[in-house]
Amino acid sequence: MEIILNTGGTAFQGACVKGGRKFTDEYTQEAAYCDINPEDFVALGKPWLVKITNEYGDSVVLQAKKTDRQQKGEIFIPRGPWANIVVTTYTESTGSPAYKNRKVEIEEGSGPVLGPVTLMKKYYSKRTNRTGRTPAEGGA
Amino acid sequence: MSSEAQEGQTSNKITCTDVTCPVCGLTCDDIEVEVDDVSVVTRNACIMGDAKFKELRSSHRITAPLINGKEAPWSDAIDKAAEIFVNAKRPFFFIGSETATEAMSVGIEIAEMLGGLVDGNATICHGPTVMAIQDVGQVGCTLGETRNRADLDIYWGANPEDSHPRHLSRHSVFQRGFFTGQGRFGRQIMVVDPRRSTTAEHADLHLQLKPGTDFEVLNALMTILNGFEPHESFTEVTGISREDIYKAADMIKDARFGVIWVGLGIASTRGKHYNASMAMRLTQLGNKYGKFVILANRGHCNVAGFNEVLAWQCGFPYAVDFSTGEPRYQPGEYSTVDVLRRGEADALFCMCADLGAHLPKRAVERMCEIPVVSIETAEGPQAFISDVVLPGVLDGMECEGTFYRMDNVPCYARSFIDPPFDFTKSNEDTLIQLRDAIKRKLAARGKTTETVEGAAETGSKATTLSEEEYVQRLDTLLSQPQS
Ligand code: SF4
Repeated sequence: MEIILNTGGTAFQGACVKGGRKFTDEYTQEAAYCDINPEDFVALGKPWLVKITNEYGDSVVLQAKKTDRQQKGEIFIPRGPWANIVVTTYTESTGSPAYKNRKVEIEEGSGPVLGPVTLMKKYYSKRTNRTGRTPAEGGA
Repeated sequence: MSSEAQEGQTSNKITCTDVTCPVCGLTCDDIEVEVDDVSVVTRNACIMGDAKFKELRSSHRITAPLINGKEAPWSDAIDKAAEIFVNAKRPFFFIGSETATEAMSVGIEIAEMLGGLVDGNATICHGPTVMAIQDVGQVGCTLGETRNRADLDIYWGANPEDSHPRHLSRHSVFQRGFFTGQGRFGRQIMVVDPRRSTTAEHADLHLQLKPGTDFEVLNALMTILNGFEPHESFTEVTGISREDIYKAADMIKDARFGVIWVGLGIASTRGKHYNASMAMRLTQLGNKYGKFVILANRGHCNVAGFNEVLAWQCGFPYAVDFSTGEPRYQPGEYSTVDVLRRGEADALFCMCADLGAHLPKRAVERMCEIPVVSIETAEGPQAFISDVVLPGVLDGMECEGTFYRMDNVPCYARSFIDPPFDFTKSNEDTLIQLRDAIKRKLAARGKTTETVEGAAETGSKATTLSEEEYVQRLDTLLSQPQS
């Protein structure tokens, strides 16, 4: 189902980050969820987990949370490495990426919701196979 | 500001009053902190501020430099970091906001010295709002005025209950100021947000617009204030009823002192700086009826300070390239996300900002391909992808410094405790040491073109990390009890 993604800070996620608890389960609890409007929630089949996929095909699995704070057709994910898997680098020439108001696909997901260390290892463990290319050599 | 640091009952207990909080843009200066050998107790701080002060006694604090995830001597770490930047062709300096302006200034100096690029947290935050200020101009004021005078608070795409937890109680809604003695009962609150946020619960009027229609709603308000009718498609486009938009216009007309607090809701959505420009034009128009101002709810600590310092040092607020020997400014070209997405930067310095957690995946991927040097206080995504981690000092606690509040008022923050290591006294000190190491290397090489020859080589050398070891060390760290 196509839906509009908004991301943003919450005080609890903020406290986790400011308190340096970025590699703890608490961070997963506070940032790896997705707020969904009750009608969309039912339409998705009352899922425990959802998979969000962006226009590049990058996807992330999150806890599904039903809330009437969301309007129908929109979801909210707290700021953090989970949300940023699906945030795109489109900045409209301002430097500020598309943290809000970007179309994504949402569907029922199958787990697990990755913890922060596992997430970093899965998506960013290029330490062992880095190319070290410079732009001149086509590094991107 | 009175200050007081006294010996408490136990010999190692320090009690400090009127401490400045270095966490969000409000820079609250009324915090009380009690620190002993094992714990920290705060008064007046919100949940985020409290969490940061607790870092003074946390088990996950990075207290030793790391090279490729392994503890290393300080001198080696500085040397390695200097080597990386001397070898780079297009070094990128990201000056984060959780540090004082004094440190930022040195960071910018290094970028200029190396002909690199420099950017700060504004780029992923209120950068578009800053562009709008350049375009249109801002009618602003200080937080003192909003708390004492404002009888209309408009939160546009802002949710301070989450981003600035003490905003409503100290500077707006609930504050009983000189002319606002009735507190909440003397103020009108309007929230414009597609979500029913926690702030929206306090609102007299919540305009729950469709995402990405801020420009249209702002435009409609200006149309009404100018005495015309909004277009008939207004409700269909924005999702807001005509009744509500007229009510909003009436609230603006009736206000004696109105404030538009803009948040990332307008800067991070489609339209970006155009939305912010429109909000600033609406503010100007509001001054036909009463006093009207606009303030950006700047979220990250000293993010406003970076704009001030960079503008002071080279004339531009963010996204600056020094590669031609003179500063050039171009958001979208020299800004962090864009440079990383294009795969341009070949070495990155990240000071006090967890870019690994806060940039989109495609940008972080580039950071995994190039050597990264970071100043970090705790394990996290940024430390994970860094080749060299220099332990961070907590500014405003372990060293003094200047922070710019979100209304661009510089606030001086004292220190009340020493850092848990002695190789550096502050992040400024760290950067000065790094700058001097870079200078020595440049001098040794006669600063010829050969200085940049080894850039690609360094990139691959910096990858010799055993990931197993790194993760093992993390597991050990994480298995320790968290404070
Ligand atoms: S509102 Fe901001 S400045 Fe004030 S205590 Fe909380 S985090 Fe610190």
